[in-house]
Amino acid sequence: MNDILKTIVGPELLGDAMKIIIILLKIAAVIAVGLLHVAFATYFERKVMAHMQVRLGPREVGPLGLFQPFADGIKLFFKEDIIPQNADKPLFYLAPVIFFASALTSLSVLPFFDGFVIGNINIGLLFLFAMSSLGAYGIVLSGWSSNSKYAFLGGLRSASQIISYEISMGLSLVGVMMMAGSFNLSDIVRAQHHYPLGIFAVPQLLGFFVFVVAAFAETNRLPFDLPEAESELVAGYFTEYSGFRFAMFFLGEYTGMLVMSSVAALCFLGGWALPEFVTANLPEFAAKALGLFCFLIKVYAFMFLYYWVRSTLPRYRYDQLMAIGWKLLIPLALCNIVITGLAKMWFKGLL
Amino acid sequence: MTSGKLIRTIFFVEILKGLAFTLKTMLFTKPVTRRYPKVKVPALPGFRGLHALAKNEEGKLKCVGCGLCGAYCPSKCIHIYTSEGDDHSKVVDRYEIDVLRCVFCGFCVEACPFGAITLSEHYEYANYKREDFYMTKDRLLGNWDKYFAGPKGERYFKDFWQPKSENFIGARDQAMFSKVKVKEKK
Repeated sequence: MNDILKTIVGPELLGDAMKIIIILLKIAAVIAVGLLHVAFATYFERKVMAHMQVRLGPREVGPLGLFQPFADGIKLFFKEDIIPQNADKPLFYLAPVIFFASALTSLSVLPFFDGFVIGNINIGLLFLFAMSSLGAYGIVLSGWSSNSKYAFLGGLRSASQIISYEISMGLSLVGVMMMAGSFNLSDIVRAQHHYPLGIFAVPQLLGFFVFVVAAFAETNRLPFDLPEAESELVAGYFTEYSGFRFAMFFLGEYTGMLVMSSVAALCFLGGWALPEFVTANLPEFAAKALGLFCFLIKVYAFMFLYYWVRSTLPRYRYDQLMAIGWKLLIPLALCNIVITGLAKMWFKGLL
Repeated sequence: MTSGKLIRTIFFVEILKGLAFTLKTMLFTKPVTRRYPKVKVPALPGFRGLHALAKNEEGKLKCVGCGLCGAYCPSKCIHIYTSEGDDHSKVVDRYEIDVLRCVFCGFCVEACPFGAITLSEHYEYANYKREDFYMTKDRLLGNWDKYFAGPKGERYFKDFWQPKSENFIGARDQAMFSKVKVKEKK
């Protein structure tokens, strides 16, 4: 059979076809599992926040309320899809798609465990920055096309916020790139083996701090959720969206959070890497599964930080937000780069 | 800025305190949520819920149609219609309460000399139509059977809506008048 196929289409073409099929399968798996994680991230958030506010959270739908995300999804799917009369229709349709697609595309360069990554490109981190900035276009377009003052203000706020924090976020990761000597996320994870505790968060403490704060602002989460400040702007940029278009913004936001948590886990917390003495005696499959488990624990710890901060801190004022971004985080990140560079130059043998 | 304040600002002492507080709440404080339809909180003693018309030992209406409850009612939601019976006695034809107008002050219960009108512990009577909240005599008597049946209802009735007639003492037995009597004797 293989021989017949080879004679018809040629060996190179068959190999390429197999590669494409494998990549498609990988994409399907990542999207399915990723969206499942997004669904349960919302459940996790509601539970954590409820217990921090002395409430119970969802527990009626299914055992312990575990089917709540699906109930919410079905409800959103069957809601009426309202489009404002004076909305810019093509952009109104396009905006949530851009936002959601850019969030999902970021998943393609994340190595979930050793050797599993859809696109193993050597500019993985840059790609992530590009995608998270592209998501801002979805927000700005939704604010513009809704033809509503609240949505417009939300969109403007989001644009300026993401531009400001993109800089400090990029700069905070420069330290990591310098230490790892690569943009590829898998290489960054492998490079962390030689450092104390096997993580970059220890030598890059300053960078990690800047990254965490910038990640909060980048995903429009509290205490920096000014684009969707409920008390001022109704719901911010997605005020006019309903039904499944709203769900796309919602999913995009949580996917963005998962991506940011994954980047934190990969670049600062060691990703899927385990100490040698653990993996040495394990079969390959078990070692990889353990690595994935380890990675997920780190991701969910970071997600927990998101929820924890959300239920603790009030929203920052807009000028405070800008002041933190420009006057605190960018100087700190630059400082971190200088220190890292000097350390790398002086302790060449050590690092 | 003092050095202590500077250190507190740099290390986010206040924010960390807040985070510690929320974490402590999450781990150690029991949620205060009442899972209402599943777990019901029992009504406190003397709770003023849905109205009921009391029955006497023979199972007949205690109400004599004097109309005091309707006269006292601040929201004027009690409507009583009486007629003359065969032996010249007063017959209560209709005794109706518009529950949606009622403010549950309980004045009707206090006014009633025979303990004929009562308020039960029942409060879950949401319904779809306005007419469902218009209590006629039959429905009020039915409420008595439903919510004051058994020893629990009886005790509740005795403790909180006890008929004043059972507490009546003749004028001579009252302290004030007995003093007068003493004075007369002197």
